[in-house]
Amino acid sequence: MVARTGPPSLSSCPRRTAGSSRGRTVYGRRRATVKAVIALALRGLTKGFDSKIAVFEVDLDVPAGSFFGLLGPNGAGKTTTLSMAVGLLRPDTGAAFVLGQDVWADPVEAKRRLGVLPDGVRLFDRLTGGELLAYTGLLRGMNPAEVDARARELLDVFDLVDAGRTLVVDYSAGMKKKIGLACALLHAPRLLVLDEPFEAVDPVAAALIRDILHRYVAGGGTVVFSSHVMELVEKLCSHVAIMSDGEIKTVGPLDEVRGGRSLEQVFVEVVGGRVATGHELSWL
Amino acid sequence: MALSLDTAPVGRAPRAWDFVRLKLRLMRNGLRGQAWRIVALVLGVLFGSWWALAAAVGLGFSGTASAEAGFVVATFAGAAVTLGWTLIPLLFFGVDETLDPARFALLPVPRRILTRGMFAAALVGVPAMMTLLGTSGLAIAAGIRFGPIEAVVALVGVVAGLALGVVASRALTSAFAALLRSRKVRDLAAIVLALLASSIAPLQWVVMSAADYGSLDQALSVARILAWTPFAAPYVVPFDIGEGRWLAAAARVALTAATIALLARWWSRTIESAMLGTSSTPPARAVAGHAAGPVASLYSTVLRPLLSPTRFGAIVARESRYWWRDVRRRASLISILMASVVVPFALNFAYAGGELNGQGLGTTGFGFAVSIAGTMGGLLLANQFAFDGNAYAAHLLASVPGRLEVRARAVALTLVAGPIQIAVVVGMVAWSGRWEQLPTGLGMLATFFGGAVASAAILSVLAPYALPETTNPFAMNSGGASAKGLLAFVAILAAMAICAPMLVASAFLGSAYPWLILVIGIAYGGTVAWLGTLVAGAILDRRGPEVLMAVTPRR
Repeated sequence: MVARTGPPSLSSCPRRTAGSSRGRTVYGRRRATVKAVIALALRGLTKGFDSKIAVFEVDLDVPAGSFFGLLGPNGAGKTTTLSMAVGLLRPDTGAAFVLGQDVWADPVEAKRRLGVLPDGVRLFDRLTGGELLAYTGLLRGMNPAEVDARARELLDVFDLVDAGRTLVVDYSAGMKKKIGLACALLHAPRLLVLDEPFEAVDPVAAALIRDILHRYVAGGGTVVFSSHVMELVEKLCSHVAIMSDGEIKTVGPLDEVRGGRSLEQVFVEVVGGRVATGHELSWL
Repeated sequence: MALSLDTAPVGRAPRAWDFVRLKLRLMRNGLRGQAWRIVALVLGVLFGSWWALAAAVGLGFSGTASAEAGFVVATFAGAAVTLGWTLIPLLFFGVDETLDPARFALLPVPRRILTRGMFAAALVGVPAMMTLLGTSGLAIAAGIRFGPIEAVVALVGVVAGLALGVVASRALTSAFAALLRSRKVRDLAAIVLALLASSIAPLQWVVMSAADYGSLDQALSVARILAWTPFAAPYVVPFDIGEGRWLAAAARVALTAATIALLARWWSRTIESAMLGTSSTPPARAVAGHAAGPVASLYSTVLRPLLSPTRFGAIVARESRYWWRDVRRRASLISILMASVVVPFALNFAYAGGELNGQGLGTTGFGFAVSIAGTMGGLLLANQFAFDGNAYAAHLLASVPGRLEVRARAVALTLVAGPIQIAVVVGMVAWSGRWEQLPTGLGMLATFFGGAVASAAILSVLAPYALPETTNPFAMNSGGASAKGLLAFVAILAAMAICAPMLVASAFLGSAYPWLILVIGIAYGGTVAWLGTLVAGAILDRRGPEVLMAVTPRR
């Protein structure tokens, strides 16, 4: 178990930053810069479960306005990292900043700017889609008239109007992702953190989600999402980070990381997976 | 999944023995590195053996009683065992899913071998062993009464009876598996089962009072009929042999064998539907869209005028709906409310010397009975965050203040359970006709409900634990979770201690100033709940993510 030593002091650990601002110190005195440029900043995030370290010293800078893909094999620590970044899982050490607000020191301010679609987390699924949106809006302290208007529009855009009085628990997997995304968008956050938003989603719903996210980024929003579908990430993202064994292995703008190869090649190389040589399984 | 089946050499068909080995392996792996599970298992085995031994000795001694009494004991014990084996798995559907038929769906195992293997595996387990140990007392009894041959026959009968019970339970659960897969049916079943489960206690009284007033002759006539049903038939064969009724013995053996064969056939038919697992559900039926806006539709018609569309109002509205819409909540709500009806009436009976004289209790006794009901009601909040699993994440992401959260939940429970509990108190008073007790009763109810809400709220943020994600609303975690569940008793004691002054006050002032007790009681309960939720809210503000992690089911 890694001892919890509290957040690192701001001046004592200026860290190398990655992504588009690689090599620039964006910490300490230049905090104003962080606010302007970096939508999500992670500093030395570490989390251990029992005796196993799930995430170790993760630093990450997600530039504002980017479409950021967090890649990694199963068990790489993506969900753990994102949970710590959005305030759902307390890190053993390290800090996370959403648009300059410390998630763990000032959660209210940070979470106001943040929309989250967690993976494997239940919704309040004994409500209908409309009720769930209304509930989420009111929980966020929004004005009821505004909640009504936005909820109707979101149901319409996400093609969930037909579901009517069906409870979310009876939705299909794709519909659940859509209503979850609608809940994350309802309060118009400036940063969206989506954990596996395309998992178990049919192609039609996936195309819809992709369009909406594209529009959101074009409008100045920032999207961070985790996935292990290379094609999707290549098509969508402006920046990627590859995670494995609880550490960030590579990070940067998509083209820089690819360096002329396919993302899949880079991924397998970085993660260190084996490639079939043709001699195994000869009996198949 | 490491099936021990794949250790079998290629080409050999799996045998029933492989299933037994697989089950043992799964049980062992389940225990690996989980000290508390081992402790729970050992305690379970010790506790079970103690009861089984007691039963064996008791049944064994029935061999020294008169022939009629021995016959009655054997039939009733046998019928109880068979009935228990048949019904309990239905009540706790999926309790022993160590070997879930759905997991064999893709393996090329012939159905006949599958049923045989599942049967063998079902016999390997603590409940089956304990049943066998307990009922083997009947063999001792037969040995004492008649002789060694009858003892052996009785032993065979005991084993056959167990086999019958096991096959019946498996056949029924796999027959109901398809039905229980639909959410609507499951929700309905939950209500029925909750009512059934909570009516066990009253049923016990009926049986016990019948035992008090009934005579051996009446029991014997019931036993004679039972002995000709498959429930008890295998257990009474030694009596037939010992008393020379050879034809009857043969008939009962045939009855038992035929029942087992028929049930096995039925099981082997239905196991395929159970093997289909939960992979597909029929598409959800859409109903016409919103008449009202989304915000308005969140509030039920009753609550809409009472609650404002704010954070607090939204949580109260959602919580009060969830007490009915969520199966698990509804099950515990119904059980606890039933208990809070039954317990005061039981105390009433006890004080009245078991007679239904309708005199009711003295004021103190009545206040005590009502205070138990109130405590049980408030205690529904003891693990309140676990009901929704990790859906609580939504509250955390919206940074809902802890105090508001805890208070909204307490208010919602009060809105749902309060009217029912008040109706219970009014009903008790109406039944005894002592209307002067009503103000005291309501005052004590408010006090203890408030006290229990306070201690349960604090417990719910300090020691939450995950409930398993399952289709069975009655499923409980075994082992570690139930250790935390025991903390509920601490919460009860704490609530009782907090509210004890009111109990004293009602004892001294209840008769003279009943209305004063009502006013003070409401104020006292309200204040305690206010303070308790204040503390719980402050703790929740600090521990929100930890609470979320604790209620997230392990996958």
